[in-house]
Amino acid sequence: MLRVDHLTKHYGDTVAVDDLSFDVAPGVVTGFLGPNGSGKSTTMRIMLGLDRPTKGQTSIDGHAYRDFPAPLREVGAQLDAKSVHPGRSARNHLRALATSNSIPLSRVDEVLEFAGIASVADKKVGGFSLGMSQRLGIAAAILGDPGVLLFDEPVNGLDPEGIRWIREFFATLAREGRTVFVSSHLMSEMALTADQIIVIGRGHFIAQGSVDDLTRTSAGTVFVASADDARLAQRLRDAGASVAVSERGLDVGKMPSATIGAIALADGIALSELTPQRASLEEVFMELTADSVEYGSAKVTS
Amino acid sequence: MRGVTLASVTRSEWIKFRSVRSTLMGVIVTTVLTVGLGALIATAVRANWNQMDPIRKLAFDPVSASLGGTLFAQFAVGVIGTLFITSEYSSGSIRTTFAAVPRRGLVVAGKLLVLVGSLLVVTEVACVATFLLGQSIFSGVVPTASLGNGAVLRSVLLGGVYLTLLAVLGLAFGLILRQSAASISAFTSLLLVIPIILFLLPQSWQNAATKFMPSALGRSMMSTSAPENFFGAWTSTALLVVYVIVAFSVGVALLLRRDA
Repeated sequence: MLRVDHLTKHYGDTVAVDDLSFDVAPGVVTGFLGPNGSGKSTTMRIMLGLDRPTKGQTSIDGHAYRDFPAPLREVGAQLDAKSVHPGRSARNHLRALATSNSIPLSRVDEVLEFAGIASVADKKVGGFSLGMSQRLGIAAAILGDPGVLLFDEPVNGLDPEGIRWIREFFATLAREGRTVFVSSHLMSEMALTADQIIVIGRGHFIAQGSVDDLTRTSAGTVFVASADDARLAQRLRDAGASVAVSERGLDVGKMPSATIGAIALADGIALSELTPQRASLEEVFMELTADSVEYGSAKVTS
Repeated sequence: MRGVTLASVTRSEWIKFRSVRSTLMGVIVTTVLTVGLGALIATAVRANWNQMDPIRKLAFDPVSASLGGTLFAQFAVGVIGTLFITSEYSSGSIRTTFAAVPRRGLVVAGKLLVLVGSLLVVTEVACVATFLLGQSIFSGVVPTASLGNGAVLRSVLLGGVYLTLLAVLGLAFGLILRQSAASISAFTSLLLVIPIILFLLPQSWQNAATKFMPSALGRSMMSTSAPENFFGAWTSTALLVVYVIVAFSVGVALLLRRDA
């Protein structure tokens, strides 16, 4: 369990994170969603003990990060894809990391193989494409076989095959009972990748729930097309629904689709379409964060 | 379970240190400057010996004359020490490092051990080599010295100590300033620019201040008998160690407080 507890972080006058609290449960992929500059990276850096919170704290299974005797065996993280010395080979980078935490060097070859970069392991990282750097970051994250994994914008720079691979990888990690926490500013990506989503904006908590929860709360109308829209509209209004009539059909509110179908059947009106309307996660996200998108050049986090 | 220990972090830093080309280049440059320029200076001394002023001949120290290359090598070791930390900041790998080892003091201790251990070997070998080469160049024309003499051996070995301490000073500057260019400029200014400014002061002030400069401490350390107005070799060594400890402590204190 990853816990963020009344976390606040100021950089000079800029408030990057403001009294943020949430829990991330193991066994599912949790998306951490917010516009650029909303405090996602700052929160992750504080989780890893890299930045010091102004107020509040983060903990992992009840422990402060710095108290772990071998952090890489507990928490694997991929922050910036380019957090590697460009003149060092991928293998030496991973060897240095493994050695610091007393992880056997045989593990280095395993993760290189797993991440699909074994063939370039002895090449300098400076020559890597963004996608290869992301894969190296993933190899580094799983080096210590940790129970908690943090990924900051991991799909940036990956090709479609790589994105499919990483999605399946996250799902596998979650199935194994690990805590998987993935940040992104791309809602469409999160809708496909994450089971649970935490939305923040301007450092504030906005919403938390499953993709289903978040998309359902916002919409709730049913689109209906039938052989006799006018008559059906009247019947539905009589039954207490709100109905908006358009050329294509009816938008019905305040009534579940099952009831609409039953009324149509009772009146012998043939339906050609009966579709519960669901906001896309993208729409929900835009709506939720409309007030909190950070404009201007005063961004402190990426 | 063994986890993060000083030994594991030091091994990790050793892998980092030797797996980038800048380290190898730095070591080669240090050696070439110490030995190559040392030999060049010795050759020039030999060629001009007969024209030299008798008073200067009397004060001639074959040890410090053969170690003249260290005046140039001190910049190379400073760069090695500085880049050992600043390259982590410029590449962003410092975050990877501190996420793996949250106790940052261990990272610095590991870097210090690796830097001192490896540079002490390189610079002592280079200083002994340039001394021996210098004496063989002097031989027959210019007076020579032998490592069998205690003061001579001390001067030669303190040459390596001087260069190693300056590498640590470079590391300390890197810890404080975190940027390669800024750190190397500050380091170079300390060794070159400040002595030039001192040179503009009245003679009595110069005499009082110059002996405190790191380069003057180095000269004392590498001379069999300390030059006039300078501290003795051991006092100079102790003073340089104090400088390095102060700069390093400031660097560590900042490192522990700052966001990575």
